[in-house]
Amino acid sequence: MQIIRSLFITLLMMIPFLKTYAEELKNNAFLGIDVYTDNAGVQVYSPTFSLMKTLSKHWLIGFKMRIDAIAAASIRFGGPPSNVDAVASASHKSGFEDTRYAPTFLAAYDDGINSAGAGIYYSTEEDYTGKSFFFNYTRQFNQGNTALGFGYSQASDTLDPVFSRDIIKYKDEKKLDISINQLIDRTLSLQFVYSYIDASGFLASPYLYNSQGFEKYPTKRTGNAFAIKALKYIDDKNSMNFSYRYYKDDWEITSHTINVEWLHDLSETLMIGARARYYTQSKSFFTKAAGDYKDTDKFTVIDYRMSAFDSYDIGIPIKYKTSFDSPYTFSFSIDYYRTSHNAYIKRWYGDKYIQALYTTFRVDYAF
Amino acid sequence: MKKLLSFILVFLLIVGCSEILTRVKPYEKEHFADPKMTLNILEGRTEHEGHIFLIREASAGGDSTFQGGCGCR
Repeated sequence: MQIIRSLFITLLMMIPFLKTYAEELKNNAFLGIDVYTDNAGVQVYSPTFSLMKTLSKHWLIGFKMRIDAIAAASIRFGGPPSNVDAVASASHKSGFEDTRYAPTFLAAYDDGINSAGAGIYYSTEEDYTGKSFFFNYTRQFNQGNTALGFGYSQASDTLDPVFSRDIIKYKDEKKLDISINQLIDRTLSLQFVYSYIDASGFLASPYLYNSQGFEKYPTKRTGNAFAIKALKYIDDKNSMNFSYRYYKDDWEITSHTINVEWLHDLSETLMIGARARYYTQSKSFFTKAAGDYKDTDKFTVIDYRMSAFDSYDIGIPIKYKTSFDSPYTFSFSIDYYRTSHNAYIKRWYGDKYIQALYTTFRVDYAF
Repeated sequence: MKKLLSFILVFLLIVGCSEILTRVKPYEKEHFADPKMTLNILEGRTEHEGHIFLIREASAGGDSTFQGGCGCR
C-alpha cells in the first residue's frame, strides 16, 4: 500500500519503544485508536494495543499490536484522476483498500543508571512485508545531570506489487541515533541528537507513474539529521518544549523543522497544551519542474516529496486522570496539517496542497 | 563520516566537561519530576504524527532514546 509507504517508514514504527525508562519500570497496558484523513481521499484507522509486564525490578518485556486499516480512492493507487487505467482497476477493492498488521516484541532493562531496550518488529500487508530489529542504550552520569544515548535499528523489507513489474523487490534501512541530554539549571534541560540513516533498494513508488512510466529513483540514499531540543519549566502549571532539526541527504534534499509546544495544568488531573510545527525542504537533485521529464531521463519523479515545499501543523494535546492516583490515564490529541501550494501535488491529487486532520485517543492502565 | 567523528568529539567533550556543567543537585530536581517535563507528552501522538510526517515529507531522524526528565522520578 504505497499510500502509507515512506522512504524510512519501517524504522519510524519503533519510535514508541525507543524511549528510555528513566523512571522505574512499571506494568502498563493501553488501548488506542488513531485516525488520519486528508483531502487526497485517504483515511487511515489504526487501533493499537500494548502490554508491558515487569519480570523483576530491572526487567520488562512487552508486546504491541498496531493495525492500519486504509481506505482510499482507488485512483490513487494507479494514476491521477485524469489518468485512470487498468493499473488503477487492478488494485481497486471496495471498503478498506488494505490492512496492515504490525506486531512488536521488546525487552527492556533499567537499573536507574543504565537503560537498555531491544526488540523486533514485523509488518505485513497486501503488497509489502517489513522486518526489523532495534536496540537502544542510555547511561546517566553526574548524578543524573547528563544522559548519553545510543540507538540502532535495521530493517529489511520486501515488496510485492499487486501487478507485475520488473523492479528491485527489496529495501534495506539502517538508522543510528546518538544523543546527549544535559540539565542546565533547575528548570532547563537541553538535548542534542545526531541521526545517520542509510537506505538502499527500491526507494521510489511502485505505483506512481506518468507518460514516461513509473517513478525512477536512485537505489541508495544516505541522510544525516541534527536536532537540538529544549525543555523548560516555567512554573507549577506551565512548561514548554522547543526543537529544531536540520536534515540533509545525498539526494540533496535539505530540510529545517521547528516545533514549539506549551503545556498547561488546568487542574491536578487535567493537562492541556498547544503546539505549532513548521517544516521546509528543498528538492532532490533529480527533480525537475513537474511535466518536464523526457523518456531519456535516468530518474523520474512524480511524488511531491521529492520537490521543494513547506508545511505547518497546529495541534492540541490533552491528558486526563479521573483522580490523582487513578491507574487510568486518558490522552487525546487533534492536529491540522497542511502543505504549501505545489505543482506536483496539483498534478497528482488535483488540489494545490495537501491538508489533513489527525487524531489520537488512548487509555493507559498502570497495574 | 567526518560529521559522525565531529559529533563524537563534541560528545566526548561534553561528557568530559559535564562535571563543570553540573549545577543541579539531586535535591533541586523536583521540577524535572513534573509529568509536563518531557519532550514526548503523548506517546500515541508521537508515533502517529511521526508516521504522518514520514508519509508526507522527505526527511527523517533527530529522534532520541531519551525523552527528558531525569533519574529522580
